[in-house]
Amino acid sequence: MKPVSLLLGSRLTFDVTILAPHVPFLLKGALLTAEACGLALVGSLAIGFLVAALRTSSSPLLSRAAFVYVDLFRNIPFIVQLFFFFYGLPEIGIYIDAFSTGVIALSIAGGAFSSDVIRSGILAIDPGILEAAEVSGLSKPVIFRKIVMPIALRTSIRPLGSVFINLILTSSILSTITLNELTGSAKIVASDTFRPFEVYAVLLVVYASLTYLVSLAISALHRHLNRDRMPEVA
Amino acid sequence: MRYTSFTSYDVVLLAQGLGVSLALFLTTTVIGLLLGTIWAVIRFYRVPVLSPLIAVLAELLKNSPVLVQLFLVFFGLPALLKINVTPVEAALITLSGNTAAFIYVIAVSAIESIGRDQIESARVFGLSRWQVLRHIIAPQAMAFAIGPLTGLLVNQLQVTSLISVIGVVDLTKIGNILNLRTLKPFIVWTIVGALYYATAKLVAFGGATLEKRLRAHSAWKGL
Amino acid sequence: MIRARGVRKSFGSAAVLDGIDLDVHGSEVVSILGSSGSGKSTLIRCMNGLEKLDAGSITIDDFDVSLPKDLAEARKRSATVFQLFNLYPHMTALQNVTLAPIQVLKRSRAEAEATARSLLDSVGLGARADAYPAQLSGGQRQRVGICRALAMNPRYLLLDEITSALDPEMTAEVLSILAQLAKTGTTMVFVTHEIEFARTISSRIVFLDKGQLVVDLPTEEFFAAEGGMARPRISQFLSKMRKD
Repeated sequence: MKPVSLLLGSRLTFDVTILAPHVPFLLKGALLTAEACGLALVGSLAIGFLVAALRTSSSPLLSRAAFVYVDLFRNIPFIVQLFFFFYGLPEIGIYIDAFSTGVIALSIAGGAFSSDVIRSGILAIDPGILEAAEVSGLSKPVIFRKIVMPIALRTSIRPLGSVFINLILTSSILSTITLNELTGSAKIVASDTFRPFEVYAVLLVVYASLTYLVSLAISALHRHLNRDRMPEVA
Repeated sequence: MRYTSFTSYDVVLLAQGLGVSLALFLTTTVIGLLLGTIWAVIRFYRVPVLSPLIAVLAELLKNSPVLVQLFLVFFGLPALLKINVTPVEAALITLSGNTAAFIYVIAVSAIESIGRDQIESARVFGLSRWQVLRHIIAPQAMAFAIGPLTGLLVNQLQVTSLISVIGVVDLTKIGNILNLRTLKPFIVWTIVGALYYATAKLVAFGGATLEKRLRAHSAWKGL
Repeated sequence: MIRARGVRKSFGSAAVLDGIDLDVHGSEVVSILGSSGSGKSTLIRCMNGLEKLDAGSITIDDFDVSLPKDLAEARKRSATVFQLFNLYPHMTALQNVTLAPIQVLKRSRAEAEATARSLLDSVGLGARADAYPAQLSGGQRQRVGICRALAMNPRYLLLDEITSALDPEMTAEVLSILAQLAKTGTTMVFVTHEIEFARTISSRIVFLDKGQLVVDLPTEEFFAAEGGMARPRISQFLSKMRKD
């Protein structure tokens, strides 16, 4: 491969080829990021649906409690939440590794944002559809699982995608609790090579491309879930 | 450091940290507002070269972690340009740029919400482009943007916490210091969290009040 | 049988049902007529438990719809077809029809699908079983709605203005299905504006006015000059509806 180097005057060099030997290491970090985000996505959706169900429930106590959770975790910086868990959990005798702590913290924060999105998806469901389900004798859990969840999911897939993209960007903060995910690995490479500008510039573009790919995937998923509303091909 | 329990001086520390966070938040908000609006105006005038360049820059800033942007400015820029960048300078540059990218998006959609036809009809009446911008677009765009703007600022306030990672002694950094010294993470991070929460609520309240006032103003003008 | 006794229901200060007594026996087709706001739809919604009664009682085969433990059984014996279809938008026609049989009646998927397919066939939608509601016309959607109700094998079919949202052509296709059903001896409570159709399929006509049941007569008597038509309120209503 021809070295791609850009000479900016005599002293300024920008040469990304110096990163080549570190690509496998960075890929390992990227894999960790993917794992953490994948798990946190599942966690966020689970919490999101649960909390959205509580917030739309008829019990004022439950819906109030759910609101307080969402309000708190949306208005406190993620890094503060992360430190709360990372330094706090061992204090009460819970010893888990940085990865698990990170996934839990991401899930809880992501859950707060997802639940808001899912809640508006639930509130947008035509009440007549729920009445039809109710009079046909379906139990409340079945109605929630078979009717409410899928309809809310498909109407809110785009905003949920934005939440997920934010989750990916936020996962970089896990590097502050000793986790060598993508950003954490890049930090190590930056200090090993003494070429922080190249490392972080590439990292920035990598994240932006990653989130762009995710947004493409979300659009495809949105089209797939709402395929019945597209004109039929005869 | 030997661990010691809380002292009354810690209140002063927390207040100082909060002050640093707020000062950086306010400064970068003002710079971000100016910069983002200028970018949007450049787009409105469809300035060649600059306009697409800004679009790409805004996409990059919106879709990459602020932490990486901070590292790029704080560690990367000095290495590339052989200059000295202090943590506070890096924080100012990064947060302003990041805020500007989001302001740009809000401003562009606010301008688009007004519609080209309205703008063109104003031009027909002989108003200059600047007059159209100043008297037709700006007031309407402002009313449209205030809601999303409030949401953005609540978010950007939280983003400021990341500057603690490059050593700015903001509220989160004070939290780190107290956490190490007292070894009482739950208390420390709960207090720090509560301070951020209260500030976020204040920003949201301010935004809502301003929105109400702007709405009332435009309703009155409509008569 | 469906038995309503002294049913009262009000929304805020407005009394919508003001002491209704009504019996619907097996194999009867009872049409409920009345101007809009007369409480017809509310009566159906009380029968399937969607509205709570303020006073009085409704029982379906002696199961009281006001008692939570009875309501489930009452709902198994009855099925509702709605004005706005209320199909599940994320499910195909077939899935709409099979959901409740599988979940509530615990039928196997294969059995439920076989039943559903033959029902959809019988209403001329056999080829559209895998279409989603958004891909169907209004008339087709309502036919799926009827199949969804029939798949529960109900003793009582509650039909709530099921053609009001349809244009005349689609109305005709839906009504022809009801006419077939009436011949099979399905018990139906039919809230409608289709007076001529009600006349052809009903065994009884009930007329509601301002929340009160003012006439309950066999169909022929209702339309006879010396029967229901002798009442000014009814002849007025009928002539107005026929004009529309």
